[in-house]
Amino acid sequence: MNDMRLTERVVTETAKMTARGVQVHYGTNHALKDVDVDILDKTVTAFIGPSGCGKSTFLRCLNRMNDTVASARVTGRIEMDGQDIYDPRVDPVQLRAKVGMVFQKPNPFPKSIYDNVAYGPKIHGLSRNKAELDEIVETSLKKAALWNEVKDRLTAPGTGLSGGQQQRLCIARAVATSPEVLLMDEPCSALDPIATAQVEELIDELRAQFSVVIVTHSMQQAARVSQRTAFFHLGHLVEYGETGHIFTNPSDPRTEAYITGRIG
Amino acid sequence: MTAPAMAAPAKATSLIEPDARTRRRNASERRFRLLGLSAVGVGLLALVILLTSVLGNGLSAFRQTWITIPVTLDAAVLDKQGNRNPDEMKKVTTLGYGKLVQQALLDALVEKGISTGDLTPKEVMALLSKEAPADLRDAVLADPSLVGQTIAFPAFATSRIDGYFKGRVTRESAERDANISPAQLDLADRMAEAGLIETRFNMGFLTRPDASELRPEAAGLGVAILGSAYMMIVVLVLSLPIGVAASIYLEELAPKNRWTDLIEINIANLAAVPSIVYGILALALFINILGLPQSAPLVGGLVLTLMTLPTIIIATRASLKAVPPSIRDAALGVGASKMQAIFHHVLPLAMPGILTGTILGLARALGESAPLLLIGMVAFVRDFPGAPPQGFLDPAAALPVQVYSWTQRADPAFVERASGAIIVLLAFLMAMNALAIILRRRFERRW
Amino acid sequence: MSQSHIMSAFDRDLETIQALLARMGGLVEAAILDAAEALETRDEEIAQRVRAGDKAIDALEEQINSECARVIAIRAPAASDLRTVLTVMKIAANLERCGDYAKNLAKRSMVLAQMTALPGSTGSIRRMAKQVALLLKDALDAYIARDPRMAEDVRQRDHEVDQMYNALFRELLTHMMEDPRNITPAMHLHFIAKNIERVGDHATAVAEQVIYLVTGQLPGDARPKMDSTLGGAGA
Repeated sequence: MNDMRLTERVVTETAKMTARGVQVHYGTNHALKDVDVDILDKTVTAFIGPSGCGKSTFLRCLNRMNDTVASARVTGRIEMDGQDIYDPRVDPVQLRAKVGMVFQKPNPFPKSIYDNVAYGPKIHGLSRNKAELDEIVETSLKKAALWNEVKDRLTAPGTGLSGGQQQRLCIARAVATSPEVLLMDEPCSALDPIATAQVEELIDELRAQFSVVIVTHSMQQAARVSQRTAFFHLGHLVEYGETGHIFTNPSDPRTEAYITGRIG
Repeated sequence: MTAPAMAAPAKATSLIEPDARTRRRNASERRFRLLGLSAVGVGLLALVILLTSVLGNGLSAFRQTWITIPVTLDAAVLDKQGNRNPDEMKKVTTLGYGKLVQQALLDALVEKGISTGDLTPKEVMALLSKEAPADLRDAVLADPSLVGQTIAFPAFATSRIDGYFKGRVTRESAERDANISPAQLDLADRMAEAGLIETRFNMGFLTRPDASELRPEAAGLGVAILGSAYMMIVVLVLSLPIGVAASIYLEELAPKNRWTDLIEINIANLAAVPSIVYGILALALFINILGLPQSAPLVGGLVLTLMTLPTIIIATRASLKAVPPSIRDAALGVGASKMQAIFHHVLPLAMPGILTGTILGLARALGESAPLLLIGMVAFVRDFPGAPPQGFLDPAAALPVQVYSWTQRADPAFVERASGAIIVLLAFLMAMNALAIILRRRFERRW
Repeated sequence: MSQSHIMSAFDRDLETIQALLARMGGLVEAAILDAAEALETRDEEIAQRVRAGDKAIDALEEQINSECARVIAIRAPAASDLRTVLTVMKIAANLERCGDYAKNLAKRSMVLAQMTALPGSTGSIRRMAKQVALLLKDALDAYIARDPRMAEDVRQRDHEVDQMYNALFRELLTHMMEDPRNITPAMHLHFIAKNIERVGDHATAVAEQVIYLVTGQLPGDARPKMDSTLGGAGA
C-alpha cells in the first residue's frame, strides 16, 4: 500500500458543498464570522481549532442541525451541488438523509444492532421489503467494518457493544441512508487509541464514496485522516488548504501558533 | 529554571495519630450520621404505629359471626301461585321472610335442646341481624327452586353478638346496652357450644354494598370498590393522554418564551393547590353548569383528573428531560423528523418514568376524599352502579369517602369496618406502587 | 517564533538540539582552519589533532540524530517546529561531511609533509580554506539568527570559492605538465582543493536549509555554477 501513497494523495477538485459568507449568531453571541469554504467531493476535510472557535457550529450548519437550536441564526449561503440548502423550500429532513452525521459520544439507539442501522432506511423508505432492508444493513455494517464482529448477534442491543464498536455502529447507521456527505463531530474523542485507529482507517476508506468532514481536537488525527484542513479561531476561518501544507508550512501565524502548541 | 519550592511540610505529622482538626471533622460526620439515622427511626416508628393501629382495629372486619339455622322454605307461604315465578314471588315482603326465620330459629333451639330461659321470641330473634330476612329473600328470589326445601341458612349475627365473639362486647357493657342483654349473651354462648354460631372469614365485606346505621354487620365495600375502580378508569383514560401530550408539547415543541414560562409556573402551582378547591370547581362546573349527575364516578373521575394532571405533567416532563439529548441528535442526524424522533426514540425511553409518575398520580387520586365529598359521593348508596358506560353515570361511593362516612356513624362496629376499609385502601395503594416499580424495572434500559 | 510553547519542556528540547548543532558547527569550522594550517606549516601534530577531533564531530552528529528522533517521537512537532528538527538533522549531516573532509585534508597534509612542496599552492589552498570556513560560519550564523538574506548571501558567495578552485586547478595542471615528478603532490593538492570546494557546497546546503526553515520553501532558482573544469565553459 505504501507505494500507492503518492497517487492516493491526489484529491478531486470538484466542490461538493460551498459556503460563502456564512455567519452564525446564537442570540447575541456572534459565533461564526464570514466563513467561505469549499468542501471537495470524495475528500476528507478536517476542521481544527481551539474550543469555542466555531468549527462544530459550522459543521452543524452543513446539515442544518442548528435549526434545532432556537436561538441560532444562520446567514450567508451554503450550497450543495449548486442548491442552496437554506432555501425555504428545502426540507431539512431530506437534507439530513444526504448529509449524514456522526457525533462525539457514540449514541446508538437503545435498540438492536439491526434496528439501529435499519432505522434511517426505514423512515426514508429506501427499501421495498425485508430482504432489501437486510441487504442495506449488511452492506452498511460492512462499510463500517463492523459486520464480522456483529453478524452473529444482530438482535443484540447496540448499547452492549464496546465504545469503538458503538461509534462504528453509528457510522454504519449514518452510511445506511447512503449520504453524499458525512459529517463527524469529534468522532474519536471518547475512544481508546486502538478504536480511534479503526475509525480513522474507516474514514479513509469511506472517502472513496463520499465527502467526509471531520471536526477534531486532535491535530494528529486531522493530519492523519484529512486531505484538506481548515483552521478556525474565534469564529473566523483563519486558514484553509491542503493538509500537508497546513502542517508543515502554514501561512497564517495564528495557524502556526496553534498547530505548534503555542496557543490553546 | 528551578522548580518552585513545594509548600514545605509544616511539621512532621503522624498518619497514625489524627490531628485535632481531623478529629473534629470526623466527630461532626458521626453526629450527622446519627442525626440521619434517628430521623429514619422516627419515620419508621410512625409507620409501625400506623400499621399496628390500623391492622389491630381493622383485621377483625374481615371476619364475621354467623348463626346457621335450617330454614324450611314453605311453598305455601313463599309461592302461593306455585309457578316459581320470581315476579310473583316478589310480592312476599321481607316481613314474611322475617316470620319464617324467627320460627326456624326457635325450632332450631328447641331441636338442639337449648333453653331460651325467660327471653321472649322477639329477644331471641334480636340475636340475628335485621339484614337476615332480606338476605334470605334475596337468596330465594335468585334461585326459586329452593322453595319447598329445607336449607342451612347462615344468617349474620347482630353486631353486638359479633362484637361479643370478637371481644368488643362484654357482659359489663351489655348491662348498660339497650340493644343487648347478658341473658342474650348467655344464649349466644349456649348456641356457640351447640355449633349454631361460628365466626369466620367474610367475603361480604369486599362484595356487599353499604348497609344502614343499624346493621353494621351487613355493611361491605362492594359499591365503594367498584366506584373507585370506575373513577380510576376515567382518570387513567383522560389524564395519561392529555398529560403526555401536554408534556411533549411543552418540553419538545413549544417555543421558550414568556407564555410557556407562565404556563410552566402555573402547572407547578396547580400541583400544590388543595384538593378541596378542585371539588368546589367540579361542583360549579360539572354539576351546576354542565348538569352532570351527583355521586357519579364520571364526575369524580373528572375532578381527580384535574387534580392528577399537574402531577403527571411534571413527572412526564422530568422523564422527557432525562432522555439524553444525544438520542435526539442521533435521530435527527439520520433524517428523522421531530415527531419521529420523539415518538420512535424519546418517548419509549421516557416511558418508565411516565408510567411511574402516572401510577403514583393515580394512587394519590385513589386516596383522595375531599373533592369527592363536594360532588356528593358521600351519599348512602346501596345499589351497585351498572356496567359501563351507563355505570359511569350511576351513583356510587368511593373507598376513602366510605372510610370517612363510616367513621361518622354511631355504632362502634363501624370503627372496625372503617379500619378494615383503610386496610383495603392501603392494599390497593401498595399494589399500584408495586406495579409502578415493576414497570420501571421492566422498561428501564441503559443508554 | 517568538512565542514559547505552552509545554515548556518542548522549548527546552528544541534549544538542546540547536545548542548541540552550534557546538558541532564550531568544531567543524576549527577543524577546517586547523587542517589548512597543518598543510601550510607541515605541522604533523596539528594534523594529528584534526584527525582525532573528527571522532568528536561524528559522535555529536549521532547525538543530534538521536535527540531529533526523540523530539519527533515524543513531541510530534508540526510546522516551524517540524522544520527546525528537520533542518537540524540535515545540517548536522552536512557538517559531518565537512568534518570528514577536514580529516581527509589533515591526512593528505601528513603525506604531503614527506614530499617537496609545490611553490605557492599551499597558500592558495589556505586562502580557499579560510574563505570556506567563513562561508560555513556565516551559514551557521544565518541559521542562529534565522536570517534568510544572510543565507542567500552565502549562497551567492559560494561561486567565489568555485573560482578559487578553478584557478588552483589550472595552476596544479601547469605544475604537472612542467614536471611529471610533481604529479603525486599535485594530485594530493588537487584532492584537497576539491574537498574544500565540497565544503563550500555543504555551506551552501546549510544556507538553503536556513531559507527552508524560515520560509518553508527551498530556493527554487539554480545556484550560479562556476565550475569551468567541466568542458571549460562556464554554465
